[in-house]
Amino acid sequence: MAATTDSVKADASEAPLLNKTNLIAGFMLYLVFYSFIRWYEGVYGWSAGLDSFAPEFETYWMNMLYIELVVEVILASTIWGYLWKSRDRKVMSITPREELRRHMTHWTWLVMYGWAIYWGASYFTEQDGTWHQTIVRDTDFTPSHIIEFYLSYPIYIITGVAAFLYAKTRLPAYQEGLSIMYMVSVIGPFMILPNVGLNEWGHTFWFMEELFVAPLHYGFVFFGWAALAIMGVVNIEVEAITKLLKKDLA
Amino acid sequence: MSASQSAVRSRAEAVEISRTLDWMILFTLFTAVLGGYHIHYMLTGGDWDFWTDWKDRRLWVTVAPIVSITFPAAVQSMLWYRYRLPMGAVIAVIALMVGEWINRYLNFWGWTYFPVNFVFPSNLVPGAIVLDVVLMLSGSFILTAVVGGLAYGLLFYPGNWPIIAPLHVPVEYNGMMMTLADLQGYHYVRTGTPEYIRMVEKGTLRTFGKDVAPVSAFFSGFVSIIIYFLWHYFGRWFNKTDFVDPADI
Repeated sequence: MAATTDSVKADASEAPLLNKTNLIAGFMLYLVFYSFIRWYEGVYGWSAGLDSFAPEFETYWMNMLYIELVVEVILASTIWGYLWKSRDRKVMSITPREELRRHMTHWTWLVMYGWAIYWGASYFTEQDGTWHQTIVRDTDFTPSHIIEFYLSYPIYIITGVAAFLYAKTRLPAYQEGLSIMYMVSVIGPFMILPNVGLNEWGHTFWFMEELFVAPLHYGFVFFGWAALAIMGVVNIEVEAITKLLKKDLA
Repeated sequence: MSASQSAVRSRAEAVEISRTLDWMILFTLFTAVLGGYHIHYMLTGGDWDFWTDWKDRRLWVTVAPIVSITFPAAVQSMLWYRYRLPMGAVIAVIALMVGEWINRYLNFWGWTYFPVNFVFPSNLVPGAIVLDVVLMLSGSFILTAVVGGLAYGLLFYPGNWPIIAPLHVPVEYNGMMMTLADLQGYHYVRTGTPEYIRMVEKGTLRTFGKDVAPVSAFFSGFVSIIIYFLWHYFGRWFNKTDFVDPADI
C-alpha cells in the first residue's frame, strides 16, 4: 500500500507528457501577435506607407524594420543559445517515459513551426501580391515587405532552427547523425530569405512592376518545395514513437 | 534505458497520447504543406488565380492544373505508400484553398478593397477527389498518374464553370466586345500589374466558348500526367528518413 501511495505521489508531481498550456500559449502567441501586425498594416499602410520618401514612412515603417531586425537577432541568439547550452549530454540513457515526454515537447515546436510557416509563406506572401500589384511598390522596403520578408520569415526560421536544435540535443532518435530531411525542411525555407537578395536586385534593375509568375520569383518556388521535407521528419517521429508505444497499444 | 520499461502508465494513456499526436501531426503537415504549396502555386500560376479577368478560357485552363498537381502527387506518395491513407491530394488542395480564401478575404478585400467576386481562388477540389479515389481503388501510382492526372486536367474547367460562367458572358462596352470579367479588370485598376504581358488578344482567347477550353483542358491533362510522375518521385525523396554523418557536410 505504501509503495502504491508513493507511486501515485510520484505521478502527481511528475510533469505531464504533453504540456498543453505551452502548446496553446505558443499557438495564441503567433495568432495574437500577427493579428496586431495585420491591424498595424491596415492603419499605417494607407496612412504612412504609400510614399517611401515621406517622413512618416521613416517613422512608421523604417523604424519598424530596424526594431524587427534587432529583436530577431536577440531572440534567435537567446533561444538557440539556451537550447544548445542546456543540451542533454547523456541523451541515450533517458527513460522511455522521459523520451516520450521530450517527443511531445518536440511536437509542440513542430506545431509552432508549421504555424509560423503558414503565416510567413502563405498569409503574408500572398498579401504582398495584392499590395504590390494594386497599390504601390516604390522601394524594396514596402509595408508588405517589411512584414513579410523581415518579420514573418525570420520568425519561422527562428522557430524551425529551434525545433531542429531541440531534437538534436534531446532526442535519442536524432543521435545517429544529422537528419537529411530535417535539415532540408529547415534550411530550405531559410534559403527563401537570402533569395530576397535576388528578388530585390531583379526588381530594382529589371522591372519594378509585380507579376507574380515572373521567372524572377522562381527561387522562392524552389525553396518553398523544401517544406515537403516535413514528411521525412514526420516519418522519423512516427517510427521513434511507435517503438515507445507499440507494446502498450497492441 | 531498459527495453522492459514502458513509456506510459496504461493502455488508456497510450491511446490518448497517440490520438493527441495524430492531431499534432495533421496540423503540422497541413500548415507546412499549405505554406510550401501556396508559395509554389502563387508564384507559378498565381496571377491567373488572383483575378477573374485573368481566368480566361485558354491559359488559365492550361496553367492552373499543371502547376497545382505537384504537391498533391507528393503528399499522396507519403500518405498512401507509408500509411495507406487515400487522402493526400485532398489534404494538400484543401490546405492551399484555406490559405487562399483567408488571404483573399482579409487582404485582397480587407486591406486593398478589391471585391471578393473579382479575386476568388480557382476551385481545385474535384480533381483532387478524383486523384485520391483513383489511387484508393487502383493502389497504383502509375494508374493514378495516367487516369487521375488526365482527369485532374480535364475536370478543372467544369469544376470552376458554375463559378466563372456568369463572368464569362459577352458584353459590349464603349463599342468593344469583352467579357464581364474583362470589364471588372477595367474598372478595378491594378497600378502595379504589367497588363501588357497578358496576351488577351492572342489566338482564340475571346471566342466565348467552342473548342478553346476543352482543347486547353486536354493539353493540360496531358502535361499533368507527366508532372504527376515527376512529383510522385519528389514525394518519395522527401519521405526519406536517412541520416548523414556530420563530418561529411
